[in-house]
Amino acid sequence: MVHFTVDQIREVMDKKKNIRNMSVIAHVDHGKSTLTDSLVSKAGIIASQKAGETRFTDTRKDEQERCITIKSTAISLFYELDEKDMEFVPNDGKEGPNERGFLINLIDSPGHVDFSSEVTAALRVTDGALVVVDCVSGVCVQTETVLRQAISERIKPVLFMNKMDRALLELQLEKEDLYQNFARTVENVNVIVATYADEDGPMGNIMVSPEKGTVGFGSGLHGWAFTLKQFGELYSNKFKIDLHKMMKRLWGDQFFNGKKWQKTGGEGFMRGFNKFVLDPIYQVFTAIMNFKKDETTKLLEKLEVKLTHEEKGLEGKPLLKVAMRKWLPAGEALLQMICTHLPSPVTAQKYRMELLYEGPHDDEAALGIKNCDASAPLMMYVSKMVPTTDKGRFYAFGRVFSGKVGTGQKVRIMGPNFIPGKKEDLYVKPIQRTILMMGRYIEPIEDVPCGNIVGLVGVDQFLVKTGTLTTFQDAHNLRVMKFSVSPVVRVAVEPKNPSELPKLVEGLKRLAKSDPMVQCIIEESGEHIVAGAGELHLEICLKDLEEDHAGIPIKKSDPVVSYRETVEEQSEITCLSKSPNKHNRLFMRAQPLTEGIAEDIDRGDITPRDDAKARARKLADEYGWDVGEARKIWCFGPDTNGPNMLVDCTKGVQYLSEIKDSVVAGFQWASKEGVLCEENMRAVRFDIHDVTLHADAIHRGGGQIIPTARRCLYACQLTAKPRILEPIYQVEIQCPQDSTGGIYSCMNKRRGHVTEENQIIGTPQVVVKAYLPVMESFGFTADLRSQTGGKAFPQCVFDHWKILPGDPFEEGSMPGVVVTNTRKRKGLNEGVPPLDKYLDKM
Amino acid sequence: MLYLVGLGLGDAKDITVKGLEVVRRAKWVFLEAYTSILTCGKDALEEFYGREVILADRDMVEQESDAIFKDAKEEDIAFLVVGDPFGATTHSDLVLRAIELDIPYKVIHNASIMNAVGCCGLQLYNFGETVSVVFWTDDWKPDSYYDKIAANREKGWHTLCLLDIKVKEQSIENLMKGRKIYEPPRYMTVKQAAEQFLEIVQKKKEQGAEKQAIEEDTICVGLARIGTDTQQIAAGTLTQLAETDMGGPLHSLVIPGHMHPLEIDMLRHFAIDRESFDTSVHVEE
Repeated sequence: MVHFTVDQIREVMDKKKNIRNMSVIAHVDHGKSTLTDSLVSKAGIIASQKAGETRFTDTRKDEQERCITIKSTAISLFYELDEKDMEFVPNDGKEGPNERGFLINLIDSPGHVDFSSEVTAALRVTDGALVVVDCVSGVCVQTETVLRQAISERIKPVLFMNKMDRALLELQLEKEDLYQNFARTVENVNVIVATYADEDGPMGNIMVSPEKGTVGFGSGLHGWAFTLKQFGELYSNKFKIDLHKMMKRLWGDQFFNGKKWQKTGGEGFMRGFNKFVLDPIYQVFTAIMNFKKDETTKLLEKLEVKLTHEEKGLEGKPLLKVAMRKWLPAGEALLQMICTHLPSPVTAQKYRMELLYEGPHDDEAALGIKNCDASAPLMMYVSKMVPTTDKGRFYAFGRVFSGKVGTGQKVRIMGPNFIPGKKEDLYVKPIQRTILMMGRYIEPIEDVPCGNIVGLVGVDQFLVKTGTLTTFQDAHNLRVMKFSVSPVVRVAVEPKNPSELPKLVEGLKRLAKSDPMVQCIIEESGEHIVAGAGELHLEICLKDLEEDHAGIPIKKSDPVVSYRETVEEQSEITCLSKSPNKHNRLFMRAQPLTEGIAEDIDRGDITPRDDAKARARKLADEYGWDVGEARKIWCFGPDTNGPNMLVDCTKGVQYLSEIKDSVVAGFQWASKEGVLCEENMRAVRFDIHDVTLHADAIHRGGGQIIPTARRCLYACQLTAKPRILEPIYQVEIQCPQDSTGGIYSCMNKRRGHVTEENQIIGTPQVVVKAYLPVMESFGFTADLRSQTGGKAFPQCVFDHWKILPGDPFEEGSMPGVVVTNTRKRKGLNEGVPPLDKYLDKM
Repeated sequence: MLYLVGLGLGDAKDITVKGLEVVRRAKWVFLEAYTSILTCGKDALEEFYGREVILADRDMVEQESDAIFKDAKEEDIAFLVVGDPFGATTHSDLVLRAIELDIPYKVIHNASIMNAVGCCGLQLYNFGETVSVVFWTDDWKPDSYYDKIAANREKGWHTLCLLDIKVKEQSIENLMKGRKIYEPPRYMTVKQAAEQFLEIVQKKKEQGAEKQAIEEDTICVGLARIGTDTQQIAAGTLTQLAETDMGGPLHSLVIPGHMHPLEIDMLRHFAIDRESFDTSVHVEE
């Protein structure tokens, strides 16, 4: 237990090699928060005996009631490594850490997919991740999502197999079965790691392996954990073998018959892991749970576990908890693993800089980040806003990557739309106060150097959600975060009492700030829209809005889904539109974007910033594009990076470059608001075939060209079989085998279809995977629970877009209804405008 | 009958007698008010003609011409254009639409900057292609007119540069949102145009162009409010013009090509500084 004052923490903050910034990530209900608590208990902020019973990081009332984490929470921990363990800490650079005290900034993040934007924000400010997996259910959909995100942000993972108590007590797994479970999970994690990271990548080999000590095992709830290092130490003394060698013996196909080791099992041989690790644990469990008093006492003596007088009076589960916690304290094992295997900011920022910084990789800011240099100019990323107790204000929470941030310091506050050299989205203001954020508490602190996580007071009014803070005049932005989920579900809100509209508007602004993902939009029709990642996310957002941010009763519409507009074929004619002065004519066609490109753009594999030649090559090789055309992609849209393209297919048009910007502006506009119902377009490629221009620049300005380009694009869309795309969830449901019938009937009702059904080995549980239209997902969770007697729990993640079958022009067809309703909601004229509004005759 | 009536350049009184007769008897009188302006206001016109004048902005002429044509088959409609109907701004599109609707039309001509420019002494016979110089924005800086001027000068021709006017323009944001909010009117001055040219010259130099079509000391002619009582003409180098304030709108700029001695003599009268004018002209020859 460590009690530390702010001054002491401040001192450690300067020892940047002794800092570990880490997030705890996992699938929902795999026990992150409980595990985190055992770490916190070790660091001395809450009493040790309460670990496992209070969820320290769940600071909100609803979090404690629902037993899920909604917001990510940061806590600072302090841990002193034993002298003998120091050699395991990787020695980076000239001098390795020579101090034994480590400052660990830990962020506990939600596991429910609807809140994965919180995970994204957490990952940005950390360098390592503790991936928690329920050893019984193994790697789940959300584990994969967050792990993938972590790796793409260059966050090094370590693994923890949680809930061993369940495996032993409830499922009574045999040792070999349990080993196989572990092995499979490790393998699954490494498959994901291998998919998204190269072994010779900048982070090096980041696969997890128990024999190297990067995998922990245990029970967060009972407060015990170990890595193979703990057991290795035990036996390396006994067998007089080198510790590293011993650890290798304890994993994989290493069998022992009491005398010698061999690679295959056989008569009298037992797997090292089973014999030396699991066997002692099983013995303790069996002895205590079968109430064999004498045996228990003997065992505990052998393991050097000393119980107090009171504890000796316990029996059964309480005794088991105490004994295990004393024998294999979770905090000890985990903190050791964290300090030794997760990178310090010095190590991590070296390879993270090029991903983080948008500017040139050799300017002052870039070098400051790369070297984690406290004397360089300040570079800090604000990843989220945390509500203060003072209503309506927020702490800006983020990570200092270079320089120092301090109270009163004058900084440049740059929002995501800031462009170097311009003044938009830029404020130069002093920082009112810098603070330390520790779970429920905050402490003021003078200043904070690079490599640390910090909260700021007084910055919230200049930033919407995120941004970059710097003292370097020519600094570019730190790259904005890419979320793995998108806000596909939306509701319209209005105050119950119309006179309270200003309060609602103010409340929406605060809501937008408090959540990294939620979008608050005002439609043309004047409706206020709140868009979130899923039903639960929206529910929480609206509750916050009603109770905290706006503080007024609100009415909400039924949730609606956002759609996309696309085309199915090539335009049947080359569409012509004339400018208002009739002197400029544009000729274009639309066609579906080659399959797969839209997804590549979503993932960032094809971006508008790519080198044009390299991109053209990729499009030609992988998608069969004509190289000449592929080189003449004018832009992506909407918002200059969306999954639609404008391609110049003209030949020898004079002064075309002078109208390029205007056509691009028209394209951004049209691709943002498609012709059917002003939803974003997706996977549409527009080709400009010919252009006739007025001889004089004055008659081909933006006012003439932008509206014309838009009209022409709409004509193209209308003549290319326009279609509506709807978002589809991937649903993962875990339930007992006998309840699957309910799942199927529930899916059939909702246009869903099951793609996979797998039994979890060693349990009567199955995992069912299915696709379900988001449109049909409202009330799905409740319906599913009632159909399966409350035994099935779904996790819905947005997966892909799919054409909603039918013709949007046909009245009563599904897409037709979508178009009509969307137009109505947006206050647009009834019915899709006719083609002749956009198409001109020669 | 649709009458396209030129109003000339100066004030209300510049209208021709024939034009005035049409205006007085026409059922509706429209005034095209976006490609050019008269220095006197609409009220002065109404007072002088004794008629109500309807302002026709860009949207009306380009997109809602039906309102103009409504009674044109049976009645006389006057469509007033500052300068000449087929001068600097061509209203051929309007005429084409009228023909399509079987509406007869007549044109009553008047002076236009296209011919009035002769007042500076440069002979109209020697003018090449006319260009417009547009207002630049942060990311839209077309300079294609430079090539045209270069082509004109190559052949020894003068170039008349019409300077941009933005009478009732929407900002791009308002255009996208479909909001009918218009920017305040702006008129490009000779000073602004000269500055813009200097920037292009600078850019071309940086790009390493060897021979420039125009240089900082090329003689140019600034014209302001031609046809009015306050008309002003100034001849000088591009740099000099960039420092000269020529007062209220409308302005035009001429870049002379090869000049006849008589043209030079006439132009000298308008020189900002005769000495430097003579040296610059001499250098050019």
